[in-house]
Amino acid sequence: MIHIIDDDVIMSECIANFVKPRPVHAFTNAIDAISALNDEIPDLIFLDILLDGPNGFTYLNEIASYTETKKIPVVIITSMQLPSNLGPYGVVKILDKSTMTPADIRALAEEYS
Amino acid sequence: MESEVNGILVAAHELKAPLNLLRQLAFSLDEDPDNTKNIQSKMIQVTDRAIRQVNDLTKIAHLDREIFEIEPIAVRSVCTDVSDELRQLFRFNHRSLNLDYANRSRLVVANRDLLYSIVYNFCLNAMHYSEHDSFATLSLHDRRSFVRLSVRDFGPTLPSDIWQCLKTGWIKKPVSISMRPGSSGLGLYIASKFSQYMNLNLGAIRHRDGTTFFVDLPVSRQKVLFI
Repeated sequence: MIHIIDDDVIMSECIANFVKPRPVHAFTNAIDAISALNDEIPDLIFLDILLDGPNGFTYLNEIASYTETKKIPVVIITSMQLPSNLGPYGVVKILDKSTMTPADIRALAEEYS
Repeated sequence: MESEVNGILVAAHELKAPLNLLRQLAFSLDEDPDNTKNIQSKMIQVTDRAIRQVNDLTKIAHLDREIFEIEPIAVRSVCTDVSDELRQLFRFNHRSLNLDYANRSRLVVANRDLLYSIVYNFCLNAMHYSEHDSFATLSLHDRRSFVRLSVRDFGPTLPSDIWQCLKTGWIKKPVSISMRPGSSGLGLYIASKFSQYMNLNLGAIRHRDGTTFFVDLPVSRQKVLFI
């Protein structure tokens, strides 16, 4: 299972399409995505940073604080310039939305799910 | 110079998002050839929004030339046209746009094109910041000498500093709305510039569960000839 957290539904659909046939759950905000972790632990998370309400960093802090979720690999998808040392938060890769390709996304899905 | 650079940065930021989306959708055409029609319609949707934003920015640049005529217009028809244009987009994003017209179809004094942009930006903002499966309401209410056009959303409330800024006048430059992440405040800035040009009162009401943006439109003394 892959979780996709992006407030843009079209972007989520594109990513879901690229990782087919793997099952995905898409969320438009961090609160719903955090709640969903009570029901299932995904193999991989694609996370946007600028979200409505609590942002991606809040989400990262939340999952890093629980033993059940702290080891879930997270791929950040963003247009922002971010520091590359987010490993302690489970971040395995930062993809730039303006340069990423379906092959990048598929490769990560294959590696982690 | 600083505000010019800031304006360019904000515009660049706003236009980056639809370009990123278009790029991914173009990839999707290859990845999902059975779904071409659906992907094309999304590409058009994204492009239309981006073009509208660029058009609004162009209009701001031309406000000084005073080419936008202020005249009596039917505000209900403007609201209906905007809601017709955005209804599909709301549905696609699992939201709905309700109309609440407590208005006797009085004409108001404004420029139709600029007012259309204000209503469009209010509604788009409401769609973006409303919660999943919720709704926004576009309302028209008659007052004695003006018609209040408002859009209520259910999402993060407007920060008090921006609310204060709107209370004391128009927004002078795009400001990031920190409690509404992802927002550069460009839509609000556009609405503010157009309101200023038409000398309209623009404001916001903070709710515990969202925000209402409104603009007060002076009633025309011309008799209503059409609805």
